[in-house]
Amino acid sequence: MSKIKAENVNVYYGSKQALFDVSIDIAEKEVTALIGPSGCGKSTFLRCLNRMNDVIEICRVEGSIKMDNLELNSRKLDVVRLRENVGMVFQKPNPFPKTIYENVAYGPTIHGIAQSKEEMDQIVETSLKKAALWNEVKDRLDEIGTGLSGGQQQRLCIARAISVSPEVILMDEPCSALDPIATAQIEELIDDLKKEVTIVIVTHSMSQAARVSQKTGFFHLGKLIEFGPTDKIFKNPDNQQTQDYITGRFG
Amino acid sequence: MSEKPHIVKSYEEQLQLLKDTIVKMGTGVEKQLENTIQSLVKKDISLAEKSIKDDELTDKYEINIEEQVVNLIALRQPMAIDLRETVVALKVSSDLERIGDLAKNISKRLTKIGTDLPNDITKNFEIAGLKASKQVNAVLNSYLHRAKDTAENVWNSDEEIDQMTNSNMEAAVKHLEKNKKDIQKVTQLLFMLKNIERIGDHATNIAEQVYFLITGDYLEGDRPKG
Repeated sequence: MSKIKAENVNVYYGSKQALFDVSIDIAEKEVTALIGPSGCGKSTFLRCLNRMNDVIEICRVEGSIKMDNLELNSRKLDVVRLRENVGMVFQKPNPFPKTIYENVAYGPTIHGIAQSKEEMDQIVETSLKKAALWNEVKDRLDEIGTGLSGGQQQRLCIARAISVSPEVILMDEPCSALDPIATAQIEELIDDLKKEVTIVIVTHSMSQAARVSQKTGFFHLGKLIEFGPTDKIFKNPDNQQTQDYITGRFG
Repeated sequence: MSEKPHIVKSYEEQLQLLKDTIVKMGTGVEKQLENTIQSLVKKDISLAEKSIKDDELTDKYEINIEEQVVNLIALRQPMAIDLRETVVALKVSSDLERIGDLAKNISKRLTKIGTDLPNDITKNFEIAGLKASKQVNAVLNSYLHRAKDTAENVWNSDEEIDQMTNSNMEAAVKHLEKNKKDIQKVTQLLFMLKNIERIGDHATNIAEQVYFLITGDYLEGDRPKG
């Protein structure tokens, strides 16, 4: 079932067009990987899904992006609510310079989700458990989040994202700064989270896209060149440009 | 799809080496089979002995290809066409090794029974053997030139070898009924005929792999069988 449906999305940075007529159906409770060379538009597209491009003044987004029939590209949309529903994890772990507990409790606090201290404690514990971090931090929740290792910080950011029970999580190169063990932990987490959440991940690691996703889209020069089941894309893509890219024949 | 070279030259070279090794192994196996058949045609047992000896090289090629494939998978993680190239090389080398083994087995039997054999049966054996050799040659060409149609032709025409084998077996049994003294030779010839039929099967397996290599799809439906 489709969770997000983008149709003819065009994005401009000033007079420069960054995305050209991108149409894509992102399935619910699946992992969709977006791959492509640097500057191909995959992150630009990802940022359309929670209106992160709004913060770039010269950026203009045209076309339709619907999440469960809600038009995300509408001026009337409550962007704060949208970002509660569509969480984001970035390339570099960016926990707040606050305690581990406060990092996770931040979202539920500003969105008024928890009614009591007990309820907040429960949300923090559940989120940290879902992010597979609870066992490592349960005895030091009042320590500062930025003091954790890189992989732990990234899982803390994921816990922070899931604390407000989003339906979609966007991940922009979430493992590029992590070692292979921390990467495996995040990938295991992605596998687990997709039972409840729709995940869209931008990655430069072809093998990571192959490992974690069910669908893969290949972007090049702002166009979505090919989109389909991940095994098809990596075993026998239809498009020559896709094949050239994933086999290292590009350029 | 016509392929551009890889950005990383050493990867390109490794994949090319793998293809070249398959072709070399295939050429060797073809020669082995030719020597086996010609040993009977020319009544020259030294050709059978050469085929037996050359099987050692065939076995070495198989091990070498397996090592190359394991290294490529471990160190390069090939994708798409490169992945198919790698996996197919492993399977093709295994079929080629079997063809070499079967040629060697026929040759061994020949060295046991000699070339003074009932003419009617050896004639049948020659015809089937040459047909199997042609199939092996065609399928190796389909691999070398990435010729999907040639692979499909090989796949479709194995039926002829199957039919030949059936009628050759029947003819051998009939010969035996009339010439009981030939029992030892004819028994060996029956195995040799069966080996030719198995060689045809391996050529067909390779044809399936070549088709998969080129298209990414499997040859569908039941193969015509005699």
